[in-house]
Amino acid sequence: MTSRERVLTAMRRRQPDRPPFDLSFGFSTAQLETFRSRTGADDPYDYFEVDTRMVWPGPTRLTTDFSGYLGPLPPGTVVDEWGLAHVPTSSAEGDHAHLEGYRHPMLRLESEADAAGYPLPDIDAAYRYEPVREAIEDIHRRNLAAMAMLECTVFERAWYLRSMERLLLDFSDGNALATTLLDRITERRIAQAQHYARCGADVIAYGDDVGTQRGMLMSVQMWRTWLKPRLARTIAAARDVRPDVLVFYHSDGDVSAIIPDLIGIGVDILNPIQPECMDPVALKRAYGERLSFWGTIGTQSTFPFGSPDDVRREVRSRIDTVGAGGGLFLAPTHVIEPEVPFENIVAFVDTVKGEGR
Amino acid sequence: MNAESTGSLIAVLRQAVIDGQAKEAAAATERALAAGLAPRALVDEALIPAMDEAGRLFECGEFFVPELLVAARALKASQALITPLLAGSAAAAFGRIAIGTVKGDMHDIGKNLVVALLQGGGFEVIDLGADVPPERFVAAVAVDGADIVGLSALLTTTMLQMKATVQALEQAGVRGSAKVIVGGAPVTQRFADEIGADGFADNAAAAVALARRLMGRTA
Repeated sequence: MTSRERVLTAMRRRQPDRPPFDLSFGFSTAQLETFRSRTGADDPYDYFEVDTRMVWPGPTRLTTDFSGYLGPLPPGTVVDEWGLAHVPTSSAEGDHAHLEGYRHPMLRLESEADAAGYPLPDIDAAYRYEPVREAIEDIHRRNLAAMAMLECTVFERAWYLRSMERLLLDFSDGNALATTLLDRITERRIAQAQHYARCGADVIAYGDDVGTQRGMLMSVQMWRTWLKPRLARTIAAARDVRPDVLVFYHSDGDVSAIIPDLIGIGVDILNPIQPECMDPVALKRAYGERLSFWGTIGTQSTFPFGSPDDVRREVRSRIDTVGAGGGLFLAPTHVIEPEVPFENIVAFVDTVKGEGR
Repeated sequence: MNAESTGSLIAVLRQAVIDGQAKEAAAATERALAAGLAPRALVDEALIPAMDEAGRLFECGEFFVPELLVAARALKASQALITPLLAGSAAAAFGRIAIGTVKGDMHDIGKNLVVALLQGGGFEVIDLGADVPPERFVAAVAVDGADIVGLSALLTTTMLQMKATVQALEQAGVRGSAKVIVGGAPVTQRFADEIGADGFADNAAAAVALARRLMGRTA
């Protein structure tokens, strides 16, 4: 099987030659340096022969000035096209997304008109998808599966701008500012999803973290009021263009409470199934007919603190249980943090690939 | 004023805080103070039980983060009226706790929930914020006289800073002056034991109970 065939087969819940795999959301900087010095290679995805490649929209031509929203910023701060300020921390790994701070440009806004007037990026502009089409064609020529990234779809993007605490208070208060902000982001995400579908993406990767390791971040009722309908619209928009595009949804934490809802709005694949708080085998039993599972190897437990043998055991156990009949894509549950032993990454890849021999 | 109406004012305030109704909480506080109720009694009989109840509802899955945030906002609306009337030291009924997210880690939402429940639960809280270096925790004990140090981390990477912080407290010779408690998604009881912490809690409400136990109070 080619990588692309393997991904499409497994994620449509038919038996592949072996489960497809990737390295999830990549390597932290220190981990990438270790990789390069240990292997002499440059790109871990090519070196380990992962089955997918990710694509993002091309760069924007806009140069929006957010200084009026952000005020003075510490040295080394980078402001992205949404206006979110990425502030360095004392960590030596400060350029790694999990170890930086944020300044939220909409924190002090008050009215619906403020939200309506906020300068959102042109993430929906057609010119930004010309490089996406080319990248996907190249990925397909190499017989790999193309995964188009629509992560931080609505909720996370909104709270990055507003701050999580402020946005959750807005939800509690029924603040029209939040309605307007979410609707404006959703409209852009709809266009983005349709561009991806037209460009030939095999998988569109949606995602909003709404779980904690003890259950939902917010009540299911609040999620259904504020987030589910908007996520549903962005999924339906992609399916209008290409009915068979695979819909991947990422949320950290335990989101068991909304799995039936996610299936109901068209999610095919759930990620990352953190084994520290969700039981992959129980989920396979409950939803395996309708849902595929992507991830399942813990970056909070086995990857950093287990031995290579522990990694091999966990991978084989997942293949025997969750992998039966297809529906399993093996991956670390998140970014491979600096303290993960390199041997554990090698053990992960070798064990998955060994299954096909 | 009779006992019944006193009790009902307390009950209204307590319920307004649990329900996250900031305006109602402020109005009930004003009415209670105008009726001659002691500020200390409002704290002990309305605010602390209200935040304990919010924490209990969070722990058993009826409340989520937004419900805790609105309860904390209502608590602050009431405290803003009460705290100026309390004599200085009386504010720290249960003890003084310095809390922060450890060095290199900016994740503070979980830590902020613990702060809100501790403040509501009768502690004086020194909130050190996020990305807090070990020496700042040392100063909180040595200079500010914290009885408890609370350390938070979201990542396995930064969790290791908890150990460095405990060691810094030891090297500064103040480890015996304060209890150390730890929490955050990757943290476990086993890890807490390994680094020599005095306690671990797996959620915000449990952290308050733990802090009270360490201060010799029943949870």
